[in-house]
Amino acid sequence: MGMFLLYAWLIPALPLLACVLITLTPIRQNKSASGWLAILLMAAATVVALGVAWEVSQGVHVGADGHVAIVAPGEHAEAGEHFSFPEANIVQTFRWAPAGGDLSFTMGYMIDPAVAAMLAMVTIASTCIHLFSMGYMAHDRRQSRFFSFISLFTSAMLLMLMSSNLLLFFMAWEVMGLCSYLLIGFWYDKVYANPKQIAPRQAAIKAFITTRVGDVLFMVGLAYLWTEAGSLDFGSGVGQIFNPEFLERIAHTETALGISVATGIALLLFAGTVGKSAQFPLHVWLPDAMEGPTPVSALIHAATMVAAGVFLVGRTFPIFEVSGALPVVAFVGAFTALFAALIAVAQFDIKRILAYSTLSQLGFMVAALGIGGWVAAIFHLLTHAFFKALLFLGSGSVIHGMEATVGHDSNTSQDIRNMGNLRRYMPITWITYMVGYLALAGFPLLAGFWSKDEILADAWTNGHWVVWLVLTLASFLTAFYMTRQVWLVFFGEFRGHHPRAQEHAHHAAHGEHDEHAAHGGHDPHESPWTMTTPLIILAVFAALAGYFNHPISGLPGYHGLAGFFQAPSGHFDVVVMVIATLVGLAGIGAGYMLYRNAFATADALDPLEQMMPGVFKALNQRLYIDQFYGATVGTFAYTLALVWRWFDRRVLNGLLNGTGALTMFLGRLNFIIDDTVLNDGVDALSDGTNLMGDATRQVETGKIQDYASLIFMGVVVLGVIYLYGFGQ
Amino acid sequence: MVDSVPLPWVLIVAAGLFCIGLFGALSRRNLVGILLGVELMLNSVNINLVAFWRYLEPNLVAGQVFALFVITVAAAEAAVGLAMIIAIYRTRLTVNADEIDTLKG
Repeated sequence: MGMFLLYAWLIPALPLLACVLITLTPIRQNKSASGWLAILLMAAATVVALGVAWEVSQGVHVGADGHVAIVAPGEHAEAGEHFSFPEANIVQTFRWAPAGGDLSFTMGYMIDPAVAAMLAMVTIASTCIHLFSMGYMAHDRRQSRFFSFISLFTSAMLLMLMSSNLLLFFMAWEVMGLCSYLLIGFWYDKVYANPKQIAPRQAAIKAFITTRVGDVLFMVGLAYLWTEAGSLDFGSGVGQIFNPEFLERIAHTETALGISVATGIALLLFAGTVGKSAQFPLHVWLPDAMEGPTPVSALIHAATMVAAGVFLVGRTFPIFEVSGALPVVAFVGAFTALFAALIAVAQFDIKRILAYSTLSQLGFMVAALGIGGWVAAIFHLLTHAFFKALLFLGSGSVIHGMEATVGHDSNTSQDIRNMGNLRRYMPITWITYMVGYLALAGFPLLAGFWSKDEILADAWTNGHWVVWLVLTLASFLTAFYMTRQVWLVFFGEFRGHHPRAQEHAHHAAHGEHDEHAAHGGHDPHESPWTMTTPLIILAVFAALAGYFNHPISGLPGYHGLAGFFQAPSGHFDVVVMVIATLVGLAGIGAGYMLYRNAFATADALDPLEQMMPGVFKALNQRLYIDQFYGATVGTFAYTLALVWRWFDRRVLNGLLNGTGALTMFLGRLNFIIDDTVLNDGVDALSDGTNLMGDATRQVETGKIQDYASLIFMGVVVLGVIYLYGFGQ
Repeated sequence: MVDSVPLPWVLIVAAGLFCIGLFGALSRRNLVGILLGVELMLNSVNINLVAFWRYLEPNLVAGQVFALFVITVAAAEAAVGLAMIIAIYRTRLTVNADEIDTLKG
């Protein structure tokens, strides 16, 4: 007992090892060897993570001295009490760096039930994505590099989940930012014929800079929290950030802005979430992150990146709870949920629809946190990870199959208008995709149904009517746009043999797939087993994950997750469930009615566009948010750059040139003084010395007899002086 | 005995010998000749020393002893000088003093 907990550090270490091995050893020259290495180590990490989850569910606690004890789960905290985390099952830290005085930063990991659940989800989803990549990236000549990056990405996410303090959390968070940059820009040499279309490397920069806005505020929040608490360690002990007295103090200390310290800290931390989880107004990067390879999209949207943002609020929830920031959180989440669902209705790119769907579902989670539904939010995060990973991998499989027909142009192969009837060509993909679709749409008894319902029920019973209404609308739209997508992709007639004409006739060369550029014109085909196996595994989870936490008393798994987390369980309301089910079915029905006969050919207009062209165009253009940012922030930055350039050219260059000219002048002056006074004087001195020397050296003949005669002359002179000088 | 040859005569001989030695030392081009001249001058000094002892202070032995010292030193000097001449000859194949002017400034 306790072995898995004691060796839990292996969970992030194994993928990191894969990254290091692939990057630094000759394994990288063998594409499939590096891929299988990454998959193997990831699977090993999954085993450890599942072991950890099992031990946590048994109530195993490992003390600081390594003493193992089994503690029965305590009573669930009653509703209305302050939220608090259960005691961590293991905390392993070491002193890392002095932080002034007796304080020192510690580094280490801690695992409590929520972390254990997240670890299990991330490792399972990530293993599936790794395996899928084996097939999807098989033709890519940079496959080793790809596996190195996704291993590092997963490792950072796992480290972040386990970190024992916010500083380590932030470090891992930033490593993830780096990995997302590397992976979104993985096809950095890809260019499009249309210069306005965002290329992978631009999307990577966009993602990095946009999340940076949130991260800077997050870091400011960390500094603020540090100055207030003197620690960033998770935990409710003395000197830790969830200490009740500390929370009490910051909740009642006013700042200059008229909000409490807790509110200030919570808002700054939430800014990090807004950036990382792509909430409005920093959501713009996530749809463009679709430029990365599809497994990366699955990784970013399900297991890692965006989940990190939600997890941040979940992790620091005690601070949020005592602050006044929760209404803001609820508002941002609910707004994003509806807003992104609206945009998703009018997209044609199969991955972009899923991207906006992710935004919307993240909005659900954030809104759930905002109304205090902590368990509901984490529950939805877990189930969403499974079915969204499934949907993304399924879309990857669809794209992979479509490329057989329309070639390797992502504008054509990802356009749902060019698909249709794929259920005949790709049965496994179709069935698994249907599971993911129904789970996302909230179809009864699938995973998304239970988790979404818990959020709605929390909103309803806690009296957050506006949030409830907005989220219900959003779930209607979710069912609608997913039905639209699935119908256009898998039903109807196959339109891929006569794809839509591109606005730009010349297709840019697709560097990675040159060897396959020739194929095209065939029927779509089912993907290899490496791609379908992960789909099947994820489909099982997408169908059944909800039963860990269903609200039907009497069956095993009743509020299972809440019990596992030792947190107040979600509410259950038959009215809400019926309404949610009806709304979901209405969305599915509306989508079916509208798109049943749509798109006889790939060039046909969308039925919604025929009904209301203006609205559809606005939604298709993502409500012009990107253009708005381009016109404001972009133009501002550009203008600032112009001003700086002017300043640089005129003022700085002028200053520099003036300094140069002055120095030149002083140099000239010095030269003249030196040349006339100093040089000539010294020259004269040395010339004189030379002359003197020349004159004197004549005496030195070198002949011994000359010297002898001189000596004799000297003796004679001395003798004369002696005789006549001193004698008398 | 003392009066048979007066002191000035002896001194004149010594002075003459010295002048001959000096002339030889300064005018000869051959290094051996120069060495010979130096020996002549040393011997003239010896004559002086012995003459002054004999005529002025015959009770003291200082004059004789001093002359003996000079002879010894002269022998040593001749030995060193000849050795140097041989060394110079070996390197330069000449004993002409005019050609040995390494010290020329």
